Amino acid sequence: MNNILGTITAIDTDGNLSLVDITVSEDIRMSALIVETPEHCPWLKAGKKAKVLFKETEVSIARNLSGQISLRNRFMATITRIRSEGMLAEITLASAEHEVVSIITSRSAQRMELKTGDQVEWLVKANEVSLTGN
Amino acid sequence: MIEIAVSKRLHTAEGPMDLLFNGIIGKGEFITLFGPSGAGKTTLLRMVAGLTLPDAGAIVVNGQAWFDSTRRINLSPRQRSIGMVFQDYALFPNLTVAENIGIALPKEKRSTIVSELLEVAGLQELAGRKPDKLSGGQRQRVALARALALKPAILLLDEPLSALDLQMRLKLQDELLYLHQRYQPTTLLVSHDLSEVFRLSRRVFVLDRGEVTRSGSPTEVFSQSKISNKFRFNGEVVHIKPSGVVYIVHVLVGQDVVQVIASEQERASLTVGKRVLIASKAFNPLIMTLEE
Amino acid sequence: MNPDFIQTMILTFQVAGITTIILLVLGIPLSYWLAYTRNRGKAVVETLVSMPLVLPPTVLGFYLLVFFSPVNPVGGWLDSWFNLRLVFSFEGVIVGSVLFSLPFMIHPLQSGFAAIPPNLREAAATLGISRVKTLFTILLPNMKPGILAGCVLSFAHTVGEFGVVLMVGGNIPGETRMASIAIYDRVEALDYSTAHQYAFVLFAITFATLLLVYIVNRRFARMELA
Repeated sequence: MNNILGTITAIDTDGNLSLVDITVSEDIRMSALIVETPEHCPWLKAGKKAKVLFKETEVSIARNLSGQISLRNRFMATITRIRSEGMLAEITLASAEHEVVSIITSRSAQRMELKTGDQVEWLVKANEVSLTGN
Repeated sequence: MIEIAVSKRLHTAEGPMDLLFNGIIGKGEFITLFGPSGAGKTTLLRMVAGLTLPDAGAIVVNGQAWFDSTRRINLSPRQRSIGMVFQDYALFPNLTVAENIGIALPKEKRSTIVSELLEVAGLQELAGRKPDKLSGGQRQRVALARALALKPAILLLDEPLSALDLQMRLKLQDELLYLHQRYQPTTLLVSHDLSEVFRLSRRVFVLDRGEVTRSGSPTEVFSQSKISNKFRFNGEVVHIKPSGVVYIVHVLVGQDVVQVIASEQERASLTVGKRVLIASKAFNPLIMTLEE
Repeated sequence: MNPDFIQTMILTFQVAGITTIILLVLGIPLSYWLAYTRNRGKAVVETLVSMPLVLPPTVLGFYLLVFFSPVNPVGGWLDSWFNLRLVFSFEGVIVGSVLFSLPFMIHPLQSGFAAIPPNLREAAATLGISRVKTLFTILLPNMKPGILAGCVLSFAHTVGEFGVVLMVGGNIPGETRMASIAIYDRVEALDYSTAHQYAFVLFAITFATLLLVYIVNRRFARMELA
């Protein structure tokens, strides 16, 4: 599980859903779509600290990504480690000062010829991002 | 209603420790005393039973003082309406299953109550056996039936399931719940097994070094996570299987075993038997109707 | 067979049997108390019970003789009120034997009580079972090897006693002359063949009873393991 601490900067609520913007660092501003409202959740307030949680298997990796994409959570990173065994490969990334881990298929890792030191982008859908009060 | 307010100085391997407990337990409630060994759980249970004398305080059950240090009242275990299941069951080895269950009953009621309990606990076939010819699970059932025979006001269970394997434990937890529903004794369970706490009790007191550090419903006490996820469960890790760079973790949630993928780093904190919170985004689960 | 021999052997077994029964009746409450009490007087009582193990039998016999002599207040009181004379009499031999074999009954019973897991007594207490009922339905049935050992050892030890009986009882045929004294008596009279008859029978009986204890205890142990 990726676990990054950030500060809530904006909350957009519609019914029971909220789209929350979290600033992790200058370069990393993440969005999370959650079934929760500031009304019912004491820590869900702009300015409060929150942890951003997302599963390694939900993190996609892209290189030279062009064209339009709906995802807003996309950030530059450097591959620091690749561990491949059987069907899956674990890619460790350094993104700003944070470490993010992605698990993708070994087949994709080979197709993209990923290796340590490569510059890539990591992506995660906002509805795959969980939040927890700090 | 049971009002307990007792204190006792215990002499442990790490020096003296003051056991302090204050609590009110409603009639028919199922309470767990949870904590590491040496926290004073069993001592507290024994004080309610009258087997260990508190230094000070009072134990009042349905308005009757069982113990009151200021009024110098201390009823012997024989005078207290209790049923106790000991950790190693303490069945009488010279008596059969039926005799063990019926030993404390008055003659005229004995056969009806014993046969009812034998039936409820599924022990009819074993009525004539001696305890040494029983399996661990069967012994546990006999001990429970014996403790319930006198319809006690309080049922005291001292880690009754700790010696059994997981499958037997789950089965007996269900039986215990059933028996509790049927006879509704106020129940105090000593346990250091989180899954037991979640499955059996509505309220838990966490004891550490003789003091109650937390109390409340198991979810309040143990799931302190402020995670926003609406799709989440408490479960118990029953199996961990490596699969390439990840691990398949089998988690028992209620009656069902679900499988969760864990990374190397997540795996590091997991062991079989550990109580875990599993959460997913509410956006993920597929939902479909069942055929009726 | 020599009628004296038969009379002496019957007397010996009578004394041993009666002594064992009395010891069992006295020993159960006394060893129960010793096993479970936290009273400070326990050490003193334990010492007194064990004294006959190390004390020369003649010392015990001598004091009993003095104590129960009709010229002594206690002996005189027993004599005048109960017409009971405990010196040079069958009853006196019984009293002496009971005291002298006391540790042989108490020690196995006390170990038996102590070996019963404490939570059996606690379980009985939480079930509201009285102490007396607990004793007879739970404790005693679970310490049969201890009871058997106590009885057999007391019996065998009484059969073989010499000093106390000689001091308190003397050597009255059919009244106080037990087998071990008869051996001494026959040797004094240079009647080695009768002495040997007594000696051999005592040897054989003692061997057989002890063997029985070991075999039975092994069976108990195996039953407990099963």
